[in-house]
Amino acid sequence: MDIRKTKEGAALTLELEGRLDTTTAPELEAELSGSLDGVTELTLDMEKLAYLSSAGLRVILGAQKRMNKQGKMTVRHVNETIMEVFEVTGFVDILNIE
Amino acid sequence: MKKTHWNLRLQPKLLLGLVIMAAVLVTALTPAIAQLYRGHMEGYYSDLAFDQASIAARLIDGDSIEHYYRTLEKDEYYEEVRQYLQTVREEMGLEYFYVVVPEDEVMVYIWDAGVAGVDGVCDLGDADAYYGGGNELMHAAFAPDAPETILVTNNEEYGYLASAYVAILDSTGTPAALASVDISMDMINQQIRQFVYLTILIACGVLLVSVVVYYFYVRRILIRPLGTLHQATQELVQHEMDRLEDFQLDIRTGDEVEELAHAFQYMTVELAEYIRNLAAVTAEKERIGAELEVATQIQASMLPCIFPAFPERREFDIYASMTPAKEVGGDFYDFFLVDDNHLAMVIADVSGKGVPAALFMVIAKTLLKNSAQTGSSPKEVLERVNNQLCENNDAEMFVTAWLGILDLTTGSLLAANAGHEYPALRRAGGEFELIKDKHGFVLAGMEGSRYQQYELKLEPGDTLFVYTDGVAEATDAHEELYGTDRMLKALNRRVDAAPEVLLPWIKEDIDAFVGEAPQFDDITMLGLRFIGPVGEEEGKT
Repeated sequence: MDIRKTKEGAALTLELEGRLDTTTAPELEAELSGSLDGVTELTLDMEKLAYLSSAGLRVILGAQKRMNKQGKMTVRHVNETIMEVFEVTGFVDILNIE
Repeated sequence: MKKTHWNLRLQPKLLLGLVIMAAVLVTALTPAIAQLYRGHMEGYYSDLAFDQASIAARLIDGDSIEHYYRTLEKDEYYEEVRQYLQTVREEMGLEYFYVVVPEDEVMVYIWDAGVAGVDGVCDLGDADAYYGGGNELMHAAFAPDAPETILVTNNEEYGYLASAYVAILDSTGTPAALASVDISMDMINQQIRQFVYLTILIACGVLLVSVVVYYFYVRRILIRPLGTLHQATQELVQHEMDRLEDFQLDIRTGDEVEELAHAFQYMTVELAEYIRNLAAVTAEKERIGAELEVATQIQASMLPCIFPAFPERREFDIYASMTPAKEVGGDFYDFFLVDDNHLAMVIADVSGKGVPAALFMVIAKTLLKNSAQTGSSPKEVLERVNNQLCENNDAEMFVTAWLGILDLTTGSLLAANAGHEYPALRRAGGEFELIKDKHGFVLAGMEGSRYQQYELKLEPGDTLFVYTDGVAEATDAHEELYGTDRMLKALNRRVDAAPEVLLPWIKEDIDAFVGEAPQFDDITMLGLRFIGPVGEEEGKT
């Protein structure tokens, strides 16, 4: 998986590309835990994300919980497959999806 | 034995190097020095020849020569000159000393040092052919103010000669004859040969001494330490792996070899440390492996796995299976009778895998069962368990779960879905279809999540199929997902089969699809066929 990071002031955008599963989720988790300090606006761009497993959902949930405390989080460009995952797991109710 | 082996290999190489070096030195230096010496000696003898020829040319009366040449008559002066030439020749060690008149084809002798007739000495008037390029040179010298004319010849007939020709002038300044001197330089060749022999002899001597010195020196500073090192390595591998810390290497040469020995010593110490660590880690790993094995068994035994599960109940037929992807998985299913008339069914999937997922699964399963057995509705159970799981969930794990409670007397199924896959239902006589039920958020995700409950009326012959994402997301080698469409198709191909036939068939179909690709996720399924209330069945028959 590739993670492209863009930071503008307190706004951080992560573009995710490839598969977010058991093997790659720790990468995103490490990335998030290291770069969320002082961020009030987190955007996850999923335009090029092909697959999302429950391990990936866990990392997204962790990020959402953290951002609930320090700002807000937006998920953007969610494709059909991943939207289905969000719907099935009820994540649509807690995520701010654009 | 090993040492000899070393000597044979390294020592000759070094010695061969020495011999080659000496040979190169000798072959490079000897010709150069010989050439220099030869040039020097030729110059010396040529000058000597020229000097003697010049002195003779000045001493001899040129006017008298014309007379001797023409009449061939000797007189007192002729004899005087012959004596002079003879004396000089003997005193100076000249090869030939003679006076000739050069004609076109031959030269005519006037004097030739020596006694005429003895040892091939020529007499007045004898003619002789020119030799070895002498013709042009002698004619060039036969002129007033001729340049210094010297000829060096080296042939078999006359030997190695330095020749000088100086014109004898008469009173009018016209050349009358040539004073000629030949000096043999055979001794130069002789001397050069001696020089070469001597050089080679000295080189061989020096070489021999060097070889002996070098042999012992190299043996002391290189071969012996290397041999020790070699032997130490062998012994280390064969006997001393168990006591690496005690390994000592005594090499003191004060150079790179000693450094190598130190490095080797250091390596064995590090190796000992490494082996200790490795042994510890391996033991730990084995222990963990064994414990994981036990954990897998405990986990498996936690799921109801004896079928038929309720042989005395004829209202329904239930079957379930789980195939873990790793040693211990995060999927689970469960079913139990809440009371005589209510059957609870759970299928769930913990996020992540391995031991953390398995531990969380145990908690979730226990809480769900405890909660459901109080007789609460699925909605209440999920909401309560969600809040319980949210407490102290530092690892931020979550569970997707589907919970259904079936009233066996009416066929009414109350269910709630916490972020789990859509159930599939087949009405008697129809085909399997997904039920797009209302989804709540996953369990343990957010405290206070609300869940919606829905009711399905099961008729006798209806079959319910629930599963985890390990089914829908089984992936083949081309990264293609199995998907719910393929799953439904497969279900409908065995549409009338009982759950205990249907589930293995689906697993088989998934395996055929996935092929050689590894299994990423646990594959868990639960199937229920509602046969109908016992009373109703009996009423019909």
